[in-house]
Amino acid sequence: MSALLAFTRFELIRLLRSWKFLAITVGFPVVFYILFLGQHSSGQIIDGTVPWRIYLMVSMCTFGALVAALNAGGSRLATERSTGWARQLRITPMPAWAYVVTKVTASMLVVLPVLALVELVGLTFGGVRLGIGQWFALTALLWVTALPFAVLGVFVGFMVNAETAYPVVTALMFVLGYFGGLFNPVSEMPQALQSAAKALPSFHHALLALEFLSGQTLGGSNWLILVGYTAVLGLALLWKYKVEEARGLA
Amino acid sequence: MRRYGRHLAVDHLDIEVQPGETVALLGPNGAGKSTTISLLLGLLRPHEGNVEVLGTTARQAVAQGRVGAMLQTGTGSGLPPGVRVSEALELVRRLYARPASFENTVAHADIGSLLGCRTNALSGGEAQRVRFALAIAGDPELVFLDEPTVAMDVEGRRTFWRMMRQFGEEGRTILFATHHLEEADQIADRVIVINHGRVVADGPGATLKAAVTARRLRFVVTNPEPDRYDRLEGVTDVKVNGTGVTLISLDADATARDLVRSNVEFRDLEVTGACLEDAFVLLTEHERRHGGDAAP
Repeated sequence: MSALLAFTRFELIRLLRSWKFLAITVGFPVVFYILFLGQHSSGQIIDGTVPWRIYLMVSMCTFGALVAALNAGGSRLATERSTGWARQLRITPMPAWAYVVTKVTASMLVVLPVLALVELVGLTFGGVRLGIGQWFALTALLWVTALPFAVLGVFVGFMVNAETAYPVVTALMFVLGYFGGLFNPVSEMPQALQSAAKALPSFHHALLALEFLSGQTLGGSNWLILVGYTAVLGLALLWKYKVEEARGLA
Repeated sequence: MRRYGRHLAVDHLDIEVQPGETVALLGPNGAGKSTTISLLLGLLRPHEGNVEVLGTTARQAVAQGRVGAMLQTGTGSGLPPGVRVSEALELVRRLYARPASFENTVAHADIGSLLGCRTNALSGGEAQRVRFALAIAGDPELVFLDEPTVAMDVEGRRTFWRMMRQFGEEGRTILFATHHLEEADQIADRVIVINHGRVVADGPGATLKAAVTARRLRFVVTNPEPDRYDRLEGVTDVKVNGTGVTLISLDADATARDLVRSNVEFRDLEVTGACLEDAFVLLTEHERRHGGDAAP
């Protein structure tokens, strides 16, 4: 157990010391938040549920979680696998599954401060006012439901090599962000794109939080889709890991 | 339970390595050295047969923290980017139940001056020393080193082998892969030569010494007579390519004298040191002619 904690701590230190990681994960959601702020008037009701200021903050929280998780796994993981560090860890007594679990855990842990940061922007610039309990509940909900993003990031890190990782991660960030309706409301998209959005985890991640803030019951199908993504990506990760293990690369 | 005399199985071959022995696995590139080490570490599974290390499976030996290794990393450093050397070492130590002391590991690998450096700011030789430290951080009984001096200059190599020998003197078993004949000969108690995934020779450095002193004689004749050259003094191998003849000899002076005595009408005689390739041919020949004691 202490080995796992030591490794998790090590991973967090590495993430938080990387200026590139910090610039991307802090920069993207905050800059986008400020850019999109004037797109609609802050009180305009979106999709008949919440005002734009709330809609945008939740969207940027989802986008922030996505960016943090994809970049924490993604190219960093691909790089350290190509340099031989991952293999060096494989020949320590640390069990093989612990490597993957720690990676997902570290990704989840860096999502949390990003959520807090975006919420802070919402509070200061976005004009969002919530009760203290609501802030906490919202953060917890957004955090727990970010798990499929964390698994996706680690999966991408296992699938791509150090050179292709960066473009793949960037593409995923924008595909899941744009088509998931995080940059402008899904209801303003053409019909075909609307159906596409409803198949993406980013859409459902934001939708759950919006349902929570507008006082609706949280949609079971949203949960189901997020759990489904986590399960499928988790199994894909396991499969990829087994393949690499057999080749001695893991 | 630990068995005295360790049994390491490689492909269709058995290699027994005694505790405390320093063994070199010598072979040209592509001979199967890295594959052998990967098998012994459980990174690869054999397609047939089984691998036993320290009386258990390769995986189990690693899981018990009794094995350490320094693997080939290609162009990468093999170290985690973005941390200090001390942090990487401390992490690896904490992954073992009974690691070596931090100070001892630092002293053994001579990385005291590197502890505060970022891992991505190290030179090739420095990174190799740090990776050696990581290999021994868990206080392993058995250490595998795959071409450990590959990125080092002459001075770096010397320091590294001195370090390793000190480490070996503490009763640790060391198996290192190299394609440098001289390195294998000077450092190891015993040299196992492998080529094409098979053991070609196995023994103390003596046979290798002969191989190291081998010379290559090249000359041109109008009508090559290979059988005649094979009988010349010292000759162990004859190659004919058109009118060009290459002899591998264990005693170049004697061969040259014999060549003159036997009235061979040669021209453009050239004597050079035999390359590793020749040495391997020699060792293979030696095994075949003298029915060497390496397992079939």
